[in-house]
Amino acid sequence: MSSYSIVFSNGATTEIKANFGEAPVIDGVIDDSTREWKDASKIQTNLTDLPVKLWVMQTNKDLFVSVQFDLLQGYHSSNEFLGLIISVNSSENQEDFYDAKFVQFLNISENIFSYLDYFVNNSVFINDTAYSGRGAGKVEGDSSVYEFSIPINQNITEGNEGDVFLEYGKDYAFNISYGEDPVYPQGIKKSDIFLISINSPKIHEIIPLDVVLNSLTVLVFSIIGIFCVYYVYKIFKLKSKIQRLRG
Amino acid sequence: MSKVPRDQIDDQRVKKKRISDDKFAYRTVIITSIFGIIFYAISLLFNIEILKFYVNGNVIFSIIDLLIKVAAPLLFFLFMMISIGNFKELKGKPLDWKELILLFILSVGQTLLDILVFSFTFIGLIIILAYFYLIQEI
Repeated sequence: MSSYSIVFSNGATTEIKANFGEAPVIDGVIDDSTREWKDASKIQTNLTDLPVKLWVMQTNKDLFVSVQFDLLQGYHSSNEFLGLIISVNSSENQEDFYDAKFVQFLNISENIFSYLDYFVNNSVFINDTAYSGRGAGKVEGDSSVYEFSIPINQNITEGNEGDVFLEYGKDYAFNISYGEDPVYPQGIKKSDIFLISINSPKIHEIIPLDVVLNSLTVLVFSIIGIFCVYYVYKIFKLKSKIQRLRG
Repeated sequence: MSKVPRDQIDDQRVKKKRISDDKFAYRTVIITSIFGIIFYAISLLFNIEILKFYVNGNVIFSIIDLLIKVAAPLLFFLFMMISIGNFKELKGKPLDWKELILLFILSVGQTLLDILVFSFTFIGLIIILAYFYLIQEI
């Protein structure tokens, strides 16, 4: 058994359903001018005793998670990090959480961070050979903003075997962890588990461009065909009119 | 010496000439509309890709395919414009901009499936329109 403070099961998991919306830019900034994250599911919750805002949304390709919280300036660790440890399904058993993604600050005063992707094997965090998804963070004054994007329904390729394959229409347990030292899992100070539901893709809303163009082309050719028949009829009518006038 | 008055002879000549001109114009309407319809059919076959002049990525065949796809709607536009112009002239009316714009849209609309064909056709149609506009001004 591991001896760190990460929570793996507390029996009262908060459920959150990912809403569809326009993909936000993963840069650690919530840009109000472009109404980023406006369609996200938003809840106010706690990581242990740390109050956080948790926002979740998705597109047909990606799941987006943002975690925001306030800490008094002196309380921000220079090596602050936030991570998502993802279970293979909705199970909250420790061994099922095998994919971990972190935004790790290297120098918080200059907002220098790195995005890390790990495979978790028996509480040992092993760096993935190929990173999937993206992550970014920004600390401004008292506020920390973290943003993640994780691919949905994308095949696991070589090097990505340590990533959880997120499927449409299924629920996944996410352990959201906050910590102060870049040592995993020992550096984790606060964490909690959330159940995120991923919706099936909205196929009906997207009409492919080639279908529209094909339909328009067929319509144009049909109109020309009808026009030609009508025009030939008019030509013959004109002929009889001319003959009548000559007579 | 002829007893037919000179004015009457002139009238008959003018009438004969007008009938001859009308015949010519009418024949032009028919011939150009036939050509227009032929190029419409060619455009239909190639631009909807019922027929394809394309063999295993061969560049020459690709160019020929592109040329046919561009030329067919351009020639359709040209012949139909002449045909409708003459048709309207026989009825004593001029070809107006509304008909030209409709013909332009119907010609360029045939090439929506390929951006390259669409671009070349669009430029070609602009050149044809500019040419006819300029020779009218001169």
